[in-house]
Amino acid sequence: MFFHNFKYSLKNAFRQKEFLFWILAFPIILGTFFYVAFNSMYEKESVFNEIPIAIVENTENTAFKEVIKELSTGKAPMFDSKFTNSKAALEMLKSNDISGIIYVDSELSLTVSKDGIKQTIIKSFLDQYQIRESIITETVNNNPQNLQSVIDAMSQEINCNENLSLSHGNMNTYIQYFYNLIAMAAFFGSVNGLYIAINNQGNLSAIAARKCISPTNKLTSITASLLASFAAQLICVSIGITYILFTLKVDMGNKIPMIYLSGAVGSLTGVTMGFFIGSFGRLNQNVKMAISMSVTMLSCFLSGLMIGTIKVFIERYLPIVNRINPAALISDLFYCLNIYDDYKRYTVKCVTLLILSVIFAIGGFLQTRRKKYASL
Amino acid sequence: MAKTVVKIENLVKRYKELIALDHFNLEIKEGEILGLLGPNGSGKTTTINCLLSLLSFDKGTIEIFGEKMTPSNYKIKKQIGIIMQNVAVFNELTVYENIDYFCGLYITDKSLRKKYVQEAIEFTGLQDFIKFHPKKLSGGLLRRLNIACGIAHKPKLIILDEPTVAVDPQSRNKILEGIADLNRNGATIIYTSHYMEEVEQLCTRIAIMDKGKNLAIGTKDELKKMIKNTETVTIEVLDLENSIISKINNLPHVYEVNYNDSKLRVYCSGGKHNLVRILDVLTQNNVPFGRVFSELPTLNDVFLEITGKELRDKED
Repeated sequence: MFFHNFKYSLKNAFRQKEFLFWILAFPIILGTFFYVAFNSMYEKESVFNEIPIAIVENTENTAFKEVIKELSTGKAPMFDSKFTNSKAALEMLKSNDISGIIYVDSELSLTVSKDGIKQTIIKSFLDQYQIRESIITETVNNNPQNLQSVIDAMSQEINCNENLSLSHGNMNTYIQYFYNLIAMAAFFGSVNGLYIAINNQGNLSAIAARKCISPTNKLTSITASLLASFAAQLICVSIGITYILFTLKVDMGNKIPMIYLSGAVGSLTGVTMGFFIGSFGRLNQNVKMAISMSVTMLSCFLSGLMIGTIKVFIERYLPIVNRINPAALISDLFYCLNIYDDYKRYTVKCVTLLILSVIFAIGGFLQTRRKKYASL
Repeated sequence: MAKTVVKIENLVKRYKELIALDHFNLEIKEGEILGLLGPNGSGKTTTINCLLSLLSFDKGTIEIFGEKMTPSNYKIKKQIGIIMQNVAVFNELTVYENIDYFCGLYITDKSLRKKYVQEAIEFTGLQDFIKFHPKKLSGGLLRRLNIACGIAHKPKLIILDEPTVAVDPQSRNKILEGIADLNRNGATIIYTSHYMEEVEQLCTRIAIMDKGKNLAIGTKDELKKMIKNTETVTIEVLDLENSIISKINNLPHVYEVNYNDSKLRVYCSGGKHNLVRILDVLTQNNVPFGRVFSELPTLNDVFLEITGKELRDKED
């Protein structure tokens, strides 16, 4: 009886076009949209492009020429330099082919056509070069015996800040949108959960009445339907996660199996929450669907799906919402996996979601277990 | 003597102030097709839902196959098939899958179930539609699918709650023939309807319901014998004097005469030659007349006489 119910519930779930759209197609479409929208920003943060400059040598400066040559070659060059005359350099600057012109006279000077990061970098480079050049010149003139130690000291990178990495995860802020997207997909399982309640509560639908009349144990029937819906939900969410990880190649850290586990926990919460909502009251099926979708969307909104900063705002003024909002908790699962190396926070979120799932399932079952109704 | 399949005693069901079933009694014997006849809102579906333990009730007892009916009495439930007023099938499953699913709630043996599903498909004539989804079926075919889902497990007691509502005449006849076949194969049937022709055609016994009460029960002939009227004669007459109406009224076995809209209606109770005697009066008085009808009482007449109102809603 259990497998009979399970088999047909699974078939039923996979043939519901609404379900497939919201759980499978919608996250893939939105994920692709996010990818296209955020990819250029992501690239800007992670890839440094060489800065095009022109060098106009009015005076021979072998040392400077060597330095520029060194910085313009290699695996990740800082500059794309061209040695040219003043006229050609100005034309290139005018047409935005280069970001600045370095004039090599008795002193170094810079000409730029506008302000910007690239111009600032060229300026910083020149300032630093000139400082170091004067230190070396002064050392040669006054303390030539210390020249080697000065050069050695300059060769060492001096950094007062130590860079400590808590994890090997992706720190890009836009990744949060993908967490929320998976959370939303998992959470849309509530639609399927809702149908379980409607199809098992005798006073809600003709199908449920027919099932109630049959010699089938309600707990068996509902458990089979819940598990089938969860399985269907899990398959769809896993496809979505796989698409985001391996097709869009979004870096969500290196704990891949745990990402799928998070999707599973989220799916369970989504299905049981829908079942819980569906089991309450004798409202019309469409009204229940509207309530379920509203709760899902509100939960996703509060978790930051639409406005990324809303979760931070809630954390500041009403933190309890973030502790119990299922969509925020699901989104946090992915965040914890990506950011923290230990599983302490992850486990807390995971257990909270499982507790919520158990509460939803028991609450829903208590509502639907009734065998006789006062009215149909 | 046939066994009692269903026994309802003193059943009372209230919806707040409204009394849906008022000390309702009913006994159904094995092999019967019992028709529950009554207008919309008379309590037919409520009776069925109480019988199936779907609805709670305030008072009374219900026994099926000699045992008290409860929601967890799976032994009884296994022997019941229900065809609901509303089509109860999954739109996402095919015709075959729907029948297999509902049959599987009763029959766990796979090979037996396969056989039963096939038989139900053949019985309802759905062979050409097994891969169709319900949305692709016409109203009549959908009703047939609904029936197949309810009877595939070969129940001993089949309850059909208004199964022909919104069905075309061809499908309706097919459904009624099918129900008669089920009965011939040994099933006891409870059939609720507000279509008196169906009930008259199909049922071996009829219970007339109104306002939650069982007003009368018996075969159609027994019910018709319960009322005064045995024949209604209708004659088209253009003009009729009161004196002639009085003469007709004084004829033997005539108990009521109406003359409206050029139609003379004469209600008779007993007697064999009422029509001849009425026509004699008109002929002797040189009253020209048009078409003449003589009707035996219908269940509607029975209902009208018992309750003082028509059985059928105007829109029907």
